[in-house]
Amino acid sequence: MSKRDRVAAIGVGYSTTGRRTGLTRRQLVAQASVKAMADCGITADQIDGVVLHAGVAGAEPPGLDRIDALDVAQMLGIMPISFYNSDQGGPAYIHAAISAIAAIQSGQAHTVLTVRVINQRLSSAQERDSVQGPMLVGGDSQFTMPFGSVTPIQTISALPAQRHMERYGTTEEQFGAHVVAQRANAVLNDDALMRDPLTMDDYLNSRYVSKPVRLLDCDYPVDSASAIIFTTEERARDFAKKPVFVESASLSATDILPAGFEKVVDMNHSSPYHAAELMWSRTDLKPADVDCAQLYDGFTIIVFQWLEALGFCGEGEAGPFVQSGATRLGGSLPVNTDGGACNVGRRHGANFCIESVRQLRGNESGARQVKDAEVAVWANAVGPFSGAVLMTAE
Amino acid sequence: MNVASITIPESAEAADYPPIPEPDNLTEFFWEGVASHRLLIQHCDACDTYIHYPRPICPKCLSMDHLAPKEVSGRGTIYSHTTTVQPFHPYFVDKVPYNLIIVALEEDENVRLTSNLIDYPNDDIRIGMPVQVTFQELAPGLTLPLFKLA
Repeated sequence: MSKRDRVAAIGVGYSTTGRRTGLTRRQLVAQASVKAMADCGITADQIDGVVLHAGVAGAEPPGLDRIDALDVAQMLGIMPISFYNSDQGGPAYIHAAISAIAAIQSGQAHTVLTVRVINQRLSSAQERDSVQGPMLVGGDSQFTMPFGSVTPIQTISALPAQRHMERYGTTEEQFGAHVVAQRANAVLNDDALMRDPLTMDDYLNSRYVSKPVRLLDCDYPVDSASAIIFTTEERARDFAKKPVFVESASLSATDILPAGFEKVVDMNHSSPYHAAELMWSRTDLKPADVDCAQLYDGFTIIVFQWLEALGFCGEGEAGPFVQSGATRLGGSLPVNTDGGACNVGRRHGANFCIESVRQLRGNESGARQVKDAEVAVWANAVGPFSGAVLMTAE
Repeated sequence: MNVASITIPESAEAADYPPIPEPDNLTEFFWEGVASHRLLIQHCDACDTYIHYPRPICPKCLSMDHLAPKEVSGRGTIYSHTTTVQPFHPYFVDKVPYNLIIVALEEDENVRLTSNLIDYPNDDIRIGMPVQVTFQELAPGLTLPLFKLA
């Protein structure tokens, strides 16, 4: 990407955030968008594009004949791919961001508001107890749900985590080291919802959901919208805040057969490796140049997979890497400095874009500010689909 | 209510059945096979590729006309596993903790079946263990392909 084509993020904002706020998605989007606009002092007539994803988290309603671009690509064997859109929840924000960046680079738009909104109407226990009578499941779910595979905690987290443990010797204490470090960052973040300090004993004494995954390994479901505005480098200098630039970006989906999280060819070596390869191929920067990494943490194992895929440690070595303290504030690669989605709430990757912007502005992260941060990477989703973006302060 | 060969009693409650497969014209061969205790996987006879989950087209050679069910041995190995402690569906409330396994089929290790391992302690399950399909009627009219240690 030449200097002339660089894209910058200029304004960021969150909506009111909390469990069962009673707010509609329209309200959450409005709040976050206004905040992002006020953040950089932009007015509506200066924006000429909008991308929003509002898909629900979790499984699609039973019986719905769902199909999206990913299904088509998988069905026709068009893989790996580096551009698509999808209704899937996890990668939703990276789709919005990549669409905005591509639109600006191609001249389709010069300034684009991107938003990710989620609200969670029922807790999982309420959802379970709301099942009335025998439930029929069609689509691909007919091959998984009858056996009790009913939550992403099993497919996206427990199964790959178990395989990582048995294949590489990864331990529960190593997962815990990440959870504890991430919470320590949240303690320093006024935006975080989970701010009580956490010890390794707290982690090891917390309850399992599906072994080896504990409740503390899971992101925290909230009602929230996150908004980020991108514009051209030329325009970026005109706004209230110091612009942060997109250095390199990638989107990836890799698996043809079989489809689905539970059936990617290699649960520990899936699309993040392709996304990372694409992202690094579009820049001269190297993993050693990165000052902080904001890695998708729907579940702890995903952070480990991204650390390995992005080349911050070798394949299978995330456990010892995290345990060494390297990913803590003050370590060689601070990770999830906002506290991660486990603590700031499930924002499907958008919080990691916002945290990257704030860290690279250099003066917005208070006690969790990474000193002299000039390069940040954020990553979104895992398994069959994912993406990553490298951002710089200059 | 009649779903393929499954008849669900009017009086059935949510906790009586796990989520019940609702076959469509692409997948009914699989469940008809299970009902007769045979494990059938969609196969492209043009390029010799197993396809699971069933699709209307072969992702390798794009053939739409040479897709047919093919009986497999039911042998495979455990690719990964988990023991679920928190129930997310009424049927599983009194089943926890229960195991979930991913089986890599002997005929093609990239064909993976989600299932449960029976007659074996959850804590002793390990990746790579050889397993063999077995068929069990879990609820009236509902037979599922489960696995036991081979």
